[in-house]
Amino acid sequence: MSAALLLDVAAGGLLLGGLYALIAVGLNLQYGLMRVLNVAHGEFLMIGGYVTYLLHVHAGVDPLVSLVASGPVVFAAGVGVHAVLYRRLLRQERTREELEANSLLISFGLLFILQNGALLLWSADLRGYQYLDQPLRVLGTVFPANRVVAFAMAAIVTAWLLLFLRRTLAGAAVRALMQDPVGARLMGINVARVHALCFGLGVGLAAVSGSLLSMLFELTPFVGLPYTITALVVIILGGLGSVGGSLVGGLILGVVESLGVHFTAPDLRMVISYAVLALVLILRPYGLFNPAAHRPGQSVQA
Amino acid sequence: MNGLQAEYRDIPVLWEVSLHVRAGEIVALVGSNGAGKTTLLKVLSGLREGFLKVARGTLRFGGEGLWGLDPARIVRRGIAHVPEGRHLFPGLTVLENLRLGAYLLASRREAAEALERVIGMLPLLGERRRQLAGTLSGGEQQLVAIGRALMQRPTLLMLDEPSVGLAPRMVATVFELVRRIRAGGVSVLLVEQNVRQALALADRAYVLENGRVVLEGPGTALVEHPKVRRAYLGL
Ligand SMILES: Nc1ncnc2c1ncn2[C@@H]1O[C@H](COP(=O)(O)OP(=O)(O)OP(=O)(O)O)[C@@H](O)[C@H]1O
Ligand SMILES: [Mg+2]
Repeated sequence: MSAALLLDVAAGGLLLGGLYALIAVGLNLQYGLMRVLNVAHGEFLMIGGYVTYLLHVHAGVDPLVSLVASGPVVFAAGVGVHAVLYRRLLRQERTREELEANSLLISFGLLFILQNGALLLWSADLRGYQYLDQPLRVLGTVFPANRVVAFAMAAIVTAWLLLFLRRTLAGAAVRALMQDPVGARLMGINVARVHALCFGLGVGLAAVSGSLLSMLFELTPFVGLPYTITALVVIILGGLGSVGGSLVGGLILGVVESLGVHFTAPDLRMVISYAVLALVLILRPYGLFNPAAHRPGQSVQA
Repeated sequence: MNGLQAEYRDIPVLWEVSLHVRAGEIVALVGSNGAGKTTLLKVLSGLREGFLKVARGTLRFGGEGLWGLDPARIVRRGIAHVPEGRHLFPGLTVLENLRLGAYLLASRREAAEALERVIGMLPLLGERRRQLAGTLSGGEQQLVAIGRALMQRPTLLMLDEPSVGLAPRMVATVFELVRRIRAGGVSVLLVEQNVRQALALADRAYVLENGRVVLEGPGTALVEHPKVRRAYLGL
């Protein structure tokens, strides 16, 4: 076992980790803000993947171009879903436990509807296509070009999101609402509208990730849930509500998973994720980057 | 407000409360812990949290009813609320906190003007603009909270115990600031535990006990009132 090979494996994990980070940031935007744990997050990723697949195979649209469709389309769908399913739930005042339990039920329902809808529309067949799979040399290591491109796109979308959160008044309003909902309401911030925006943004980011993943892996209507679980591990690793934490957490999980799979077996990928989750929950229950004194959601760095 | 009753989960905490603030006045609201002072401010700013409900009574501001309005609409009508505990955004910079105060202002130009005015009034905030609000001292945070409320360009500013936990020098700064705010044409409704200083500053004052107004009158008169001297001034 040479050190060079290990580095290759780690670098491959880092590339995949960039996608994990993007998926997790989307889930964290929803959870950090609304305490809505959207277990159907991965289903929006699956839809993004199918949009890109169908546009590519039937209309010859370049997968990278179709991102421009899948992201905004799923964003709009997310805002619609929020208006129909969550608006009423959030309008009435409830305790946090009621809210978490009800929103969990809603998103489970959504998961089944979207999965079965996809099954009806697109069947359970594996769907995939070849795209940019020639080898590409990066930093002395050879990767399939599509992995590098997918990572680069994930990085660009993430940078865009960070700019939105840090440089615009709307982004400041999102962070304000995460940090102090009472203060945010006193500033006149429209809570329902920011929630809808973040739900849409979160699932839109999932769709973009799905589009990128469709360049690398085959699709079925059931690809979503494992990614939701991966994203959950990442946001617990990086801290609930912390966007920066999700980014670093995603990269770390990508590397740890790749190394773990390399030394064991590909089938154990999820087991390795769960092991990471268990370790973090035992050692740093508030995430790697949240000081232990801070409870989830209170410390938010975007 | 007139004959107001407010309840948390059907348990009334304000009974038949009537109170008014005239233009340009500083009105103090004092009372022991749990009297309902914070609740009264929450009713006025539309902050219906913790299952708070207004059961009856009328709320008017500048000739218009406020009943049932959400905080955003009430801010637009000119009422700003600096809440108990400040509720700043700790992970945002001082500047971002202030900018969010102007969240509802229509144009960038208006927001920039408001910012210039507030920083002119509180130069410290200008010096600390890049610092995270959560890393400021308690007194500095209180100034940010007041500055953030002033960014809303209110005609009535409500302050909930702005001097609590502050060193005497900082308390003096805050009271001096209240005086300057009123001099700028803004009416002030001031909730305070610091009864002596609050009554000295206020034009008029109300004493709230167990959710009812038990005394009201000019601040200077209430300081002399035997009940106030006994209960709140320890004399
Ligand atoms: N969210 C809530 N749910 C139920 N009861 C509440 C809630 N908030 C306050 N109360 C009760 O309402 C009453 C008035 O509380 P309020 O906070 O208005 O008093 P206060 O005069 O501001 O007191 P303090 O001086 O301690 O700030 C108290 O009896 C309190 O226990
Ligand atoms: Mg109070």
